[in-house]
Amino acid sequence: MGEGAVKRAAFPYLLLSPAFLFVVTLAFFPIAYSFWLSLHRIVFVLPHLGESFIGLENFARLLQDTRAWQALKFTLLFVGTTTLSELFLGLLLALALHQPIFGRGLIRAIILIPWAIPTVVSSQMWRFLFNDQYGFLNLLFFGNHPELYRAFLAEPISAMVAVMAVDIWKTTPFCALILLAGLQTIPQELYEAAKVDGAGRWRQFVHITLPMLRPTIVLALLFRTLDAFRVFDSIYVMTQGGPADATLVLQFYGYKKMFAEGLLGYGAAISVVIFLFSLVVSIFYLRLIFLKK
Amino acid sequence: MTRKAGILTLTIFLFTVTLVPVKAQTTLTFVTWKPSEPQLWDEIIARFESHYPDIKIRREIGPHSSTQFHDLLTQKLKNRDPEIDIFFMDVVWPAEFASAGWALSLDSFFSQEERQKFLSGAIAPNTYKGHIYGLPLFIDVGLLYYRRDLLEKYGFSVPRTWQELVSQAEFILKQEKDHQLTLKGYSGQFKQYEGLVCNMLEFIKSHGGAILLLNDGRALDAVRFVRDEIIGKIAPRGVLYYEEPESLALFIQGNAIFHRNWPYAWREFSDPTKSRIAGKVGIAPLPHFPGERSASTLGGWQLGISKFSRHPQGAWKFIDFVGSPEIQKLIALKIGKAPTRKELYQVPEILTQNPQFKVKQAFFGADPRPITPVYSLISHVLQSYFSQVISDPKSDIRTLADRATEEMRYYLSWEREQ
Repeated sequence: MGEGAVKRAAFPYLLLSPAFLFVVTLAFFPIAYSFWLSLHRIVFVLPHLGESFIGLENFARLLQDTRAWQALKFTLLFVGTTTLSELFLGLLLALALHQPIFGRGLIRAIILIPWAIPTVVSSQMWRFLFNDQYGFLNLLFFGNHPELYRAFLAEPISAMVAVMAVDIWKTTPFCALILLAGLQTIPQELYEAAKVDGAGRWRQFVHITLPMLRPTIVLALLFRTLDAFRVFDSIYVMTQGGPADATLVLQFYGYKKMFAEGLLGYGAAISVVIFLFSLVVSIFYLRLIFLKK
Repeated sequence: MTRKAGILTLTIFLFTVTLVPVKAQTTLTFVTWKPSEPQLWDEIIARFESHYPDIKIRREIGPHSSTQFHDLLTQKLKNRDPEIDIFFMDVVWPAEFASAGWALSLDSFFSQEERQKFLSGAIAPNTYKGHIYGLPLFIDVGLLYYRRDLLEKYGFSVPRTWQELVSQAEFILKQEKDHQLTLKGYSGQFKQYEGLVCNMLEFIKSHGGAILLLNDGRALDAVRFVRDEIIGKIAPRGVLYYEEPESLALFIQGNAIFHRNWPYAWREFSDPTKSRIAGKVGIAPLPHFPGERSASTLGGWQLGISKFSRHPQGAWKFIDFVGSPEIQKLIALKIGKAPTRKELYQVPEILTQNPQFKVKQAFFGADPRPITPVYSLISHVLQSYFSQVISDPKSDIRTLADRATEEMRYYLSWEREQ
């Protein structure tokens, strides 16, 4: 092999190397490091204990950790409820916004507002709206009967509903935006042909819109599911996981273990669990997108 | 030639630029929370800087919430940030900061003799394994605030026991129902956060129980009392997510008969522009269970020096200055924070401005939370346990208490492990 040939063969790798380095340092290395940490007992505030390798003990403890189980259950409930609701409502919104209505551009922009407000700010706003003394929601429901006013964030069930409702309020516009983009790629001719064949609006929707929108729907689901698994800021601001750990999510639990309590190994084990869940979900969705083709 | 001249000028310029800071003052970085009274802190720092012209204080402002401030500060200390010199510590942190190797021992600066002038309850949480790591600047204690007008109207004296408090509240609520539907009996802090631990500690201690022994009968009964009598009868369910501001709002609007809060609250009630109950509020030690004594949780803030600081001497000058009788007096007069120096509880000027400081037993005998480096782990177990028990009227207290006690014992065993 001549020198030129070697150079030619190496050239593509050279071009790929910046991207490769980027992925390795920013994605693979932190993930691998989290795995490594999760196999150790590291208690930041007790340096005399050292950093002993304990194998899978953190995971074994995690299996017996009732708060972790509770967090997992609520996280799954949260992910399921919010993603499906956001997808459904987002689809309705997208279909409405796809119609040639007056002021469409402006409405599309306005609808995005909840999504554009930083979560910390909007969660704080909702915390006030849910308040039992001056909260607007109480005024809305009970009007001039302050003795009936309820503390929505004080009861486990209503607090769970509240944090999910806030997420749905906030992220439905995002789903709508993605689905709207999907709707716009569907060629108009298909609908015209369907009309010629005498198909009504419903049949057009079921047989053209939905199948054509499938990859976009899966994409939106993928984005939303991964994002919902990482929910943190709204919980942090609104409930801190309470009352009675009812709104505790895995990500917030891991954060508490790692940062507030300084249990690096245990916190990393929780991150690894979140990562594995996300990985499985991603593979499942990606297969849904690519299998058909 | 011109090139040489250029290089020469540049060299001289660089020389001057690098020399100037050497001659100038030392700058110390002070990590503090966002104060509610910024002018007071501007004044304290200005006074210090005019006293020590060679030192400048640069403030790094963190979040107001203790938990969030802890996360920010410990993150910097974990990174061994040498830019940090002085920081505030909440009363439950010095043991943690000492054990982790973040706080500098102040033994050589803060003499035994000087420590004697402080409230012993305030010094204890700053001491870990025989060394001192912080200078307490002000303390907080739990106090009972009550509606004097309502108690007088029905001929009640201030409740001594929790049972008395509940029955007085129930009586008054029944009588007042026609005038004021929104009136509640009790307002405290029962959200799942650090304040919940403080409130519950007072109930458990005033029943002769201990917070690390939750499955002991005394602690169990106290917790059950809170669930069935306080939350279940006289407090609104809303207290389950109240922190200090929300619980204060209820009382200040005239919607609660009894209110548990820290000393700062007195100023809020007395200010007629904010308060509907100015002049109608009384102060007392918190009630206790029959045959026991009242308990107040100790809170408050200390100043410490980072182990990674390059200027510990200068940092101590600042701490010594801020902790002096003059500045503590200034703080007490301006914003009503309780001093840590015993002598200041004799100063008439301070007491007339802050009548809450006259509840001496609370300030001189406040109960600390467990002093351990793993306090934040212990606290999370406690928060979770208390919140689960009190928010569900049918909770299985015994089982939950066994589990929480066991978990705390496990964490505490690490400290002794070699």
